Amino acid sequence: MFSDAFLRQLDMLTLLTRGRAHGQLRGMHRSRRVGSGMVFADYRPYSEGDDIRHIDWGIYLRLDRLILRLFEEEADLPVYMFLDASQSMDHGKPNKLDYARKLAGALGYVALLNHDRVNLSAFADGLREMLPTRRGKAQAPQVFRFLQSLQPRGRTHLHAALRRYFSSPRTRGLVILISDFLDAEGIEEALAVLRRFRHDVALLHVMAPDERNPQLPDEVVLVDAEEGTATEVEITPALLSAYRNTFEQHARDIEGYCRKYGWGYARALTDLPFEDLVLKVLRQEGLLR
Amino acid sequence: MRFLGLPAASAWLLLAGTAGLVVLLYWLKPSPRRLVVASGLIWQRVLESRKRQPERWRWWLSLLLALCIALAIAAALTRPEIAAVSGAAADVVLVIDTGPSMAARGADGRTRLARALEHAESIVRAGGAGSRYLVADTMRQVMTPALESHEDALARLRSLAPRAGAQPWFPDVARPAGAGERLQLWFVTDGVAHLAVPRQARLVSAFQVADNVGITAFEVRALPADARRHEAYLEIANASPGNKRVEVQVVGVGAAPLARTLQLRGGAAANVVLDLSAFKEGPLRATLRADADALDLDNTAYAYLPGKGRVRVGLFTAGNPALAQALRLLPRVGVEVVPPERWRELARFDAVVLDRFAPPRPPTVPALLIAPGAAPWLPGSATDVSDTRLERWDGSHPLLASLSLRDVLVDRAPLLALDAPGNAQRLPLAPLARGARKEPLILATRAGPRLALLSFALEASNFAQQASFPAFLSNAVDWLTREPRALAYSIGQVSVPAAQAQVLDLEGRSVDTRPAPAATLFDAAEPGLFTAMTRDQRLRIAVNALDPQLTAVNASRFAQGSAPAASAAAAARLRIDPWLLLLALATILLAVEWWTYNRRATV
Repeated sequence: MFSDAFLRQLDMLTLLTRGRAHGQLRGMHRSRRVGSGMVFADYRPYSEGDDIRHIDWGIYLRLDRLILRLFEEEADLPVYMFLDASQSMDHGKPNKLDYARKLAGALGYVALLNHDRVNLSAFADGLREMLPTRRGKAQAPQVFRFLQSLQPRGRTHLHAALRRYFSSPRTRGLVILISDFLDAEGIEEALAVLRRFRHDVALLHVMAPDERNPQLPDEVVLVDAEEGTATEVEITPALLSAYRNTFEQHARDIEGYCRKYGWGYARALTDLPFEDLVLKVLRQEGLLR
Repeated sequence: MRFLGLPAASAWLLLAGTAGLVVLLYWLKPSPRRLVVASGLIWQRVLESRKRQPERWRWWLSLLLALCIALAIAAALTRPEIAAVSGAAADVVLVIDTGPSMAARGADGRTRLARALEHAESIVRAGGAGSRYLVADTMRQVMTPALESHEDALARLRSLAPRAGAQPWFPDVARPAGAGERLQLWFVTDGVAHLAVPRQARLVSAFQVADNVGITAFEVRALPADARRHEAYLEIANASPGNKRVEVQVVGVGAAPLARTLQLRGGAAANVVLDLSAFKEGPLRATLRADADALDLDNTAYAYLPGKGRVRVGLFTAGNPALAQALRLLPRVGVEVVPPERWRELARFDAVVLDRFAPPRPPTVPALLIAPGAAPWLPGSATDVSDTRLERWDGSHPLLASLSLRDVLVDRAPLLALDAPGNAQRLPLAPLARGARKEPLILATRAGPRLALLSFALEASNFAQQASFPAFLSNAVDWLTREPRALAYSIGQVSVPAAQAQVLDLEGRSVDTRPAPAATLFDAAEPGLFTAMTRDQRLRIAVNALDPQLTAVNASRFAQGSAPAASAAAAARLRIDPWLLLLALATILLAVEWWTYNRRATV
């Protein structure tokens, strides 16, 4: 899926989350738990049963009191990655689904590399395929195979997918949505589900160039790839301009929603070189470090 | 509506076919391309936000525009004639009177021809856009009239000018070749020239009453009492309606001009005789001056005043009183009868007539020999011819100019052997007149000393009794003494009775000439004095417009006030052909179609 050189570049990256990690296992993310981490957090009096390795012996010599040094425990990060595999993603040059596959693969690889728990799901008009939780770099091939196996079909219904997924108890973590967000039902309701569970969320908005700036003949019948409905349209410069504005407004609405709740948002333009997206755009967005 | 480019049936068929084709193409217009998009979500929002335009009327509007464009182009190909737009096309024949009276200026200073051309141009401008025009004139300025375009017709009209000197005629253009059914024949004239005008011709008057005074006669003649004195005879005509004060002046060589002032009543003529004794030999010019004179052409006349010197002619004869008398009757000729024995006195004379006598040597002065007999320097004869007559003669030779010798009978004449051996030593004589058997009867030298020879005796013929005999003698004396001949012609084409003559005008400039059998032709558009020169003679040619009919510029058929005004001066029509308008319309509609298509007002 990726070249060795690119994988070496990914080796140096880490997924970032804006909150503390709530993972149960040791990981590389700061958590609210105090334990045996590397980062000093606080002092407290020693009580029986505490690990004597954390007693500050200098204080004991000066004050003759047993004071325990506390460290933040580094936990793993549950990463819930949702990949839109609806029919609308099978579009554009380069293909949006292929681009999204690579994007999910790269982020999954980075998460596995940092011992984060990667939960990968494909959705369309509901949850379709799910890859059970994977952890550790060795699981990367399974993640890649899962992504490669995805086929586009169905219409987009993000809300149904998220509601179903999070109907089961999930540790709070980082939710990454990779989609074109062309959901006829709207996505606010779906995002409200994530907001309700207080996940850290990052939306990666996949856009093909001919979606942003379509080149169409004067008279055309537009066929919706998901719905199959046809609309005869007289293409005029004004209409094209209106389309561009509406599309842009659609993206801005999503971005505005994300900014409002402190979520990450990035546009994954498929005409942008993939390496630039990962190594520059996502780093600038604060999703990767 | 007519179609000039196609038969009507074909034109209508073309229009119907074009309309059908356009409609068919619109029905066959391919359906829009189907294009799969990722989602119709955004498009749906866009379309909902925009007011949907009704599609059907756009289709109809588009079809209507396409139909109009295609039909306009197809109709342009048929070259329709729309009378309401640019008039009905017709073949218009315009005959313009370009006679000399058309040069008469009216009270406004414009010539009648200018008025005629104005009328003609208004006729041309009033014609339909598809009309063709044929311009002809009565003085043959347009040599090959043909149907032509509006612009060419106007250019041809502007090239016309009044012309005199030829007999005016109505050209044979009533039914020109290639003319259509709609034929109009217009004749724009001042009504002065009397022409056989076809009945279908519509007359347009360019007549305007004009004041004109002109010279209608100018002659120089010797006084009967003294052939060396001459007087000028002038006739002045006043063709004006009113009285005129006329100043007449004659200018000659060697003396002050002669002038007379006349008072002439309207329509009257007066004769003026002026004594030319004070002038020397040379050109004479008569001019007149009157106020508000309409025509310049008849205000000047030329003549040539002959020499006044007496010519001494010696008649060497044993006795021929009739001949002596005939010579004496010639003006300016002093005749002395001398016996042949005194032939050595030949040199005393300007010219000699040797009657039945030949000196032993060629005479040193110009000589006319009549039946000279045998002489070593003359062509010999072996036999005589009898009962012959003059049948062929060279009328271009000054000796025989203006003579008719057809009735001259000769009883007996020596048969001169011009080509006999031994003639090389003899005087070279060329035959000018031959008899029935081609025998030379009148001969003359072509070069060198002038010598004429009449091979037969006057007693052996009836020549002396012919009316042409005195003229022959006069010609002979003039030719022998190299007296220039003065000829008078009317303006127009002048035929000089001399082959290959060079013609010079009064200023010595060479005039363009055309050769003709035994003559030289040249054109004189206005009065003048010319000199025609050949190898052996010089002719003075006075060309004048001395014609009472020319001067009478008001003798018009329209003079009674019944002149049809320029009824043709209809309102000038639009000069643009309908097919051009149609093409322009198609262009505009194309622009409209492009504009509406770009704004999606049409499909």
